[in-house]
Amino acid sequence: MAKAQRVDQRLMQEGRRTRGALYFGIGLGVAAGLLIIVQAILLARVVNDVAFLDKTLHDVMPLLWAMLGIFLLRAALSWGSEVVAFQASAKIKTYLRERIFSHLLTLGPVHAGGERSADIASTMIEGVEALEPYFSRYLPQMALVSLIPLAILAFVFPADWISGLILVIAGPLIPFFMVLVGYKAEAINQRQWQKLLLMSAHFLDVVQGLTTLKIFGRAKDEIEIVARISDDYRRTTMAGLKVAFMTSAVLEFFASLSIALVAVSFGARLLNNSVPFYTAFFVLLLAPEFFNPLRGLSTHYHARMSAIAAAKRIFEILDLPAPASAASRETLAPGAQISLSCHDLHFAYETGRVALDGLDCAIPAGKVTALVGRSGAGKSTLANVFLGFVTPQSGEIVVNGQIPLNALEREQWWRHLAWVPQNPRLFHGSIADNIRLGKPDATEQELRDAARQAYALEFIEALPQGFGTMVGDLGQGLSGGQIQRVALARAFLKNPDLLILDEATANLDMESEALVLDAIDRLAKGRTVVVIAHRLATAERADHILVLDEGRVVEAGSHQELLAAGGPYTRLVAAYRGDHGRTLASA
Amino acid sequence: MGELWRLLKLFAPYRGWILSGALLALLTILSNFGLLALSGWFLASAAVAGLGGIATQNLFNFFTPAAGVRGFATVRVVSRYLERIVTHEATFRLLSRLRSWFYARLEPLAPAGLQGYRAGDILSRIVADIDTLNNFYLRVFTPFLVAGLAALIMAGFFALFSWTVGLTLLLFLAVAGLALPLLTERLGAKLGREMTNINADLRVQLVDGMQGMGEILTYNAGPVVRAHAAALNDQLIQRQGRMSVITGWGSAGMGLLTNLGMWCIVILAIPLVVHGHLSGPELPMLALGSLAAFEAIAALPLAFQFLGQTREAARRIFAVADQPLPFADAPGPAPQPRRLDLRLTDVHLRYADSARPALDGVDLEVAQGSRVAVLGVTGAGKSSLVNLLLRFYDYQEGRVQFGGHELRDYPGDNLRRYFAVVSQRSYLFHSTVRDNLLVAKGDATEDELWEALAVAQLDEFVRAQPAGLDTIVGEGGVKLSGGQGRRVAIARAILKNAPWLILDEPTEGLDPVTEMEFLRDLQAVMAGRTVLYITHRLIGLEAMDRIYVLEDGRVLESGDYATLLRRGGQFTRFATFRGAFEALSAPQS
Repeated sequence: MAKAQRVDQRLMQEGRRTRGALYFGIGLGVAAGLLIIVQAILLARVVNDVAFLDKTLHDVMPLLWAMLGIFLLRAALSWGSEVVAFQASAKIKTYLRERIFSHLLTLGPVHAGGERSADIASTMIEGVEALEPYFSRYLPQMALVSLIPLAILAFVFPADWISGLILVIAGPLIPFFMVLVGYKAEAINQRQWQKLLLMSAHFLDVVQGLTTLKIFGRAKDEIEIVARISDDYRRTTMAGLKVAFMTSAVLEFFASLSIALVAVSFGARLLNNSVPFYTAFFVLLLAPEFFNPLRGLSTHYHARMSAIAAAKRIFEILDLPAPASAASRETLAPGAQISLSCHDLHFAYETGRVALDGLDCAIPAGKVTALVGRSGAGKSTLANVFLGFVTPQSGEIVVNGQIPLNALEREQWWRHLAWVPQNPRLFHGSIADNIRLGKPDATEQELRDAARQAYALEFIEALPQGFGTMVGDLGQGLSGGQIQRVALARAFLKNPDLLILDEATANLDMESEALVLDAIDRLAKGRTVVVIAHRLATAERADHILVLDEGRVVEAGSHQELLAAGGPYTRLVAAYRGDHGRTLASA
Repeated sequence: MGELWRLLKLFAPYRGWILSGALLALLTILSNFGLLALSGWFLASAAVAGLGGIATQNLFNFFTPAAGVRGFATVRVVSRYLERIVTHEATFRLLSRLRSWFYARLEPLAPAGLQGYRAGDILSRIVADIDTLNNFYLRVFTPFLVAGLAALIMAGFFALFSWTVGLTLLLFLAVAGLALPLLTERLGAKLGREMTNINADLRVQLVDGMQGMGEILTYNAGPVVRAHAAALNDQLIQRQGRMSVITGWGSAGMGLLTNLGMWCIVILAIPLVVHGHLSGPELPMLALGSLAAFEAIAALPLAFQFLGQTREAARRIFAVADQPLPFADAPGPAPQPRRLDLRLTDVHLRYADSARPALDGVDLEVAQGSRVAVLGVTGAGKSSLVNLLLRFYDYQEGRVQFGGHELRDYPGDNLRRYFAVVSQRSYLFHSTVRDNLLVAKGDATEDELWEALAVAQLDEFVRAQPAGLDTIVGEGGVKLSGGQGRRVAIARAILKNAPWLILDEPTEGLDPVTEMEFLRDLQAVMAGRTVLYITHRLIGLEAMDRIYVLEDGRVLESGDYATLLRRGGQFTRFATFRGAFEALSAPQS
């Protein structure tokens, strides 16, 4: 409960962003409430005049015309508050979406956690959307729930204090009893909702596991289980709901009873001629309106609960600490060769796993350096350090022997490098868009050249739509090798000074594999290249090999040098070739 | 509307619940109408009697209408409460019925018939569709039925006093309840579709942004992608803004029509009062009653929204349920196999939606008791081989002999008894460890479960949990690591105790250390069983009697590990440093 309140407070703070619209919305609501009172006065006059003062339609027509005016005004107010309510939330929605997205981009791929992308996407779409009723309905209703009944009382009391008293007593009793029954009911209600969701999840579970069930020959039994579980949940849930529905029954009870009481008490006094009909009718018209805002509040209470659940997720993302960014003005001339040297790098992930443990290395300019090591040795982390996705907790990386990497602005540094991961991402759009990612203004000729260099031109032109073929999640599927080559074309077009790539493992068919390797060779020419090598052939062709183990470089040199040294690399190569019985002998 | 009829027919067994829920809803609305109409009449009558002096005062029957007012108030409270309970009870019953009906339809189709539905969230959308269908009763059927009946009854009541007044009420109810929601629905339809599309685009943009963030950043495309997402958001907000104008019209129109209805009725009734066709107290009765009458149609705008959704959902659900069986299952009796040898001769398998055959003339042999591996890249046809063996998909050409009989002659459920499968796709149910194990052997004793867990090396972990076997795994429970999940699959395989063991990339996605341990522990399960090991990496292949290298649905080469390595063919392409590290750290045999 305390937690929900904290989220409430934070949401209200966000609400300040559209304070104007919120207040305006509340104002419209209050105005509409006042008009209801005026309408009641007019209607009571008309009925009273006709039924008791023998007036004709012609006599009361001015009053009726006035009523028509009130109707139109009320309609306009109701329309206005709908539009204003939306405007109140629109600004917040846009602001939050923009802030979450830019925050995620600042966090970078390592900290933002790419695997939960679907979850993050729904937080940003449905989650942010779920806040709308909070700002557009719940908050204004909170204000109206006290303002409108007060306004009604202000008119009812002077007219008839007995009815006023009935309303004054019943009014606060409702929230009181609602709280009494409701606190418990709310808890039950929440639990039941949870259960309902669980039951839905169970069904999804069974459908998703259908193949597994079939393998075990259990799929047919599950029909009964599905029915049984649904029935079990129904029984327990209904037991809870019976209590939960009491909340609204309490509201109904007091509302209906108060109206009946007002009516009956007036009836008795009218019979005694101690109160005029006009007053009685006027109060009777207002009595239901007195309870309406409360009814509205209980409707929007659910909106509050889902808004708070959504807000929790949103704030969780926004609260992830952003890495410090460089403010320095160091610049790097474009087209210059790049060398890197690292000294005593230390890095541990939040989970406590140490990835770099005093790593020293040098990446020579214009050469291909291969990183070799077991999974978890620190290869990917080191690549992420070079890419600026991960900032070591200590140690330094120096570019070209003089500029510390952390003194360069990230965007500046990225301009000099290209990255081809193991499974490159094709974005939703055309193949041309994808290749132009880093250079949106590239000419047709440049585009084709890049594709040709990457051995991608032939297959792209063979597609019916050529470069215009839509790819990505909603587009045409390309094979693993084709995706690799599009990614390489992207890198060719960028013409980077530093190329970082994570070699694809054996997931390419034979033909693609040969083309991809050739394309990488071409791209590597004359540039500084860091490649995470998975194949011996790649390491062999590299100018320089770094063997990593437990977050450190344990051996460095060319293929020949390392073989001659007879160290870990030699043993590895022997094992690679399949003679790990005779590891040392083959060296 | 055909879909909705079908839905109603499906619900037929719960007629009683459905109708009593609706009846109570009707009673709730009518009692409110009664409460206000009677109160209006009662006050005015009492006033008339009061003005008439002592004689009329004494003649006036105070107690019947006063009791009526209190009665209507009580009925309203009680019927409202009961209505909610009965309709929810009915809703749950219908949901249960829908689920078991749908599941019974789905089961024979899986997995071949659901192939198109497996990817992404489509499966969860189907399940969400079922939940949507569930709204049909509570949010569509009941509101329409109740609104219709209530409108007729209330208008009929007014017609007792004046035909024109009754008709006027009916007319206004119809316009506000049917015409207005239909109009706003029509006005908003295009916007709604646009919003759905923009939402989908935005989602793609965001998922792209998350999954391709590294590339986006290093290509300095961050600002572009952000601008694109912002533009989509603006488009969305702009459509929503226009939609809010339309919904604004809708709610303003509803209020206006309610008031106008009352206004017209008052204008019609006043001359009747003046000319003595109606008594004075009947005027406030009609005025208050007409205002209360509009409660009957208050739920209709929402019902129209749900109507569209429900029809869409029903269409999709029936489309899934009505699919023809992908192939006929053998009727039985099941053939009696002798030795459980497998022999594939020139087998071709092509999936319905694919242009390229998945298996394109495969010859392969697995003798009972031997260990055979199938090696290939993604898409080479390895999984199709498993699908074929488990009779999840039919083969079009060639012969598959299992135990001396054609595979097709085995009924699927009978055939699958011979196979235990450990795969990365082995599904873990979000339930207890016990339930997850009982899937493999429903009548397993407590001891058997622990034994299986021990072989799978998971017993210590489960024992350490406070709830033991009743520990919930997955969401809302203890999260199992990838390795532990795979171990549950091993335990299941042990419980199933089948003569054949299919390992379908069993270590995919595990870290190297876990993988080594996992493969070591698999040995215990492999002992005494025929093993078919599907993989795309060299690890664990030394222990195999024969390895088939598969590419593009064909066998490229086959032989044992040493032979294939010596030959230096395609087999060696699968060598990686990771494999070498694993070989180095493996215990020397």
